[in-house]
Amino acid sequence: MSERKALVVDDEFHIVQVVAIKLRNNGFDVLTADNGSEAYKLACQHNPDVIVTDYQMPQMTGLELIEKLRQNESTAETPVLMLTARGFAIDDQQAETLKIAACLSKPFSPREVLQSIEQVLGKKTAV
Amino acid sequence: MKQLIWKTTGIVAGTVLFAVAAALAGSSGLHPVLVIGLWLSAWVGLVLYGILMRTFIRGLDAVLSGLNLQNAAAECRVPAVLKPMAQSVWAYGAKCRQSAERLQSENQDLAFQIQSLQRQKTSAEAILHSIRDAVLVTDGQDQIVLANEAAEHLLDFQLDPRQPKGIDQAVSEIMLCEKIRKSRSGKIRHVRHELTFTRDGRLRTYDAVFSSLFDESETVAGVVVVLHDITREKEISQMKNEFVSHVSHELKTPLASINAYAEMLVDGEAQDTETIRQFCSIIQGQALRLNRLIEDILNISRIESGLVKVNRDNHSIALVIRDAVEMIKSYAQEKNITIHSQAPILYDQARVDRDMISQVVINLLSNAVKYTPEGGSVSIQSQVNEADGCITVTVQDSGVGIPPDDVDHVFDKFYRVEANKKYAKGTGLGLNLVKQIVETVHGGRVFVTSKIGEGSTFGFELPLAETGRQAVTI
Repeated sequence: MSERKALVVDDEFHIVQVVAIKLRNNGFDVLTADNGSEAYKLACQHNPDVIVTDYQMPQMTGLELIEKLRQNESTAETPVLMLTARGFAIDDQQAETLKIAACLSKPFSPREVLQSIEQVLGKKTAV
Repeated sequence: MKQLIWKTTGIVAGTVLFAVAAALAGSSGLHPVLVIGLWLSAWVGLVLYGILMRTFIRGLDAVLSGLNLQNAAAECRVPAVLKPMAQSVWAYGAKCRQSAERLQSENQDLAFQIQSLQRQKTSAEAILHSIRDAVLVTDGQDQIVLANEAAEHLLDFQLDPRQPKGIDQAVSEIMLCEKIRKSRSGKIRHVRHELTFTRDGRLRTYDAVFSSLFDESETVAGVVVVLHDITREKEISQMKNEFVSHVSHELKTPLASINAYAEMLVDGEAQDTETIRQFCSIIQGQALRLNRLIEDILNISRIESGLVKVNRDNHSIALVIRDAVEMIKSYAQEKNITIHSQAPILYDQARVDRDMISQVVINLLSNAVKYTPEGGSVSIQSQVNEADGCITVTVQDSGVGIPPDDVDHVFDKFYRVEANKKYAKGTGLGLNLVKQIVETVHGGRVFVTSKIGEGSTFGFELPLAETGRQAVTI
């Protein structure tokens, strides 16, 4: 079985690092990016199984990144988890339209991030 | 006088009667004794008539005078025969007097009420016109019958009470007219709407309260509209929301790191000593960042609310700069950036809170280092302007520069130049704190000039201390 691949995007270096370590320690191959444009390129190149992105990032926000990913055939269905410090930023309808698998509020728990990813990937596998 | 009239009347009447009797005796051929008897009878009758008339007139006089006197006093003067009539006249007179008194009293009350109403009207008009909210009253036909000056100014019309105009004719705000009509036709007692009008090219928001006026038959006799300008409240509310949103985001970011790394340690995700040390170091660094952020927010808040404690004294700005440069030097060296400092030889004291001005200089220097690429340079200098009585400090960098559209906003709270976010982390509070300290606390002025790719110059100006100015002049 090939290693599961995750892409972690956040302009906060420490956040990217902590999520990446948690995922690596639990068997994921992790790609990281500190902005939306770079993340989009990596997603198109490596086609990750799951993407964890911050909501508020310079140049391209997390939502703009997801919108762009949904327009690309190879990433249109990639599960995305969003980390946000603004709890009210995304409503249910927006989440459904953009197929956002889960939204986690900052401060978040790396344990919860992992559990959410496992859940999302489990569902995907079951389908 | 009365007696003279009576005597004269009696003599004249007696003489006339005697003459008539003599004439009758002569002409009729009657016996003289009979004529004298007749004359005497006539005379006696005349006297009796006189007495009777006199008594009657006196009685009547007493009756009439009794209208104005106490009944007891007048009663003894009225003959017994006239007493029943006198009682009736007096009773009637008393009633008339009471009515007159009541009417007089009512008349006085009415005059007082008219005066009072006039005063109330004048007072109500003065109150109505002094109200800053626009007040408008329409009648049952939606005609404007009353409006204060604020309403006339806001809705741009002139009320002529002799020629009331319909709201549609006088007011161009369609929504307002519709709401007035709806309140009246729908018999709505009170209703509140938020309306927006464009005034002097600016969109303004009003809290509009419509209250229907009902007559005795519960028919709507008119509508009272009060328009309160809530534009500023809306702006403040929006700013407050944005502030809370920014603050929560900025606080949550280091908090998220602290929480996540602490959990990793608890879960044993850091397997070697070096990783444990690294995680602890990150937690410590983020805690310090959180503390700085809270301090900045609190300082800005204290300054804005006027609660900050300011310890003013005369301090040399050159010395403040020297200490600040020392503090920032190691940070600059990490990026291989040189800091040049030039302080004046002149006496450059300003009456300032040293810690606060030191914070200003450090913020400007660290900002300059932050946005200057490795190997660049930063220079700080101060200049005393004796003529204007002020000292100017400028911090110039060879950094990335600021786009023209952003230059005017760099001192705004939480404002970050989008294009420069990739170069450095920040909260958007540092420069706002500089502005608050310089302008709000010390009555100075901040300024900035910038060119993309060439760098920026940030600076501030402070008034020189009075003693300092004297020293320079001497």
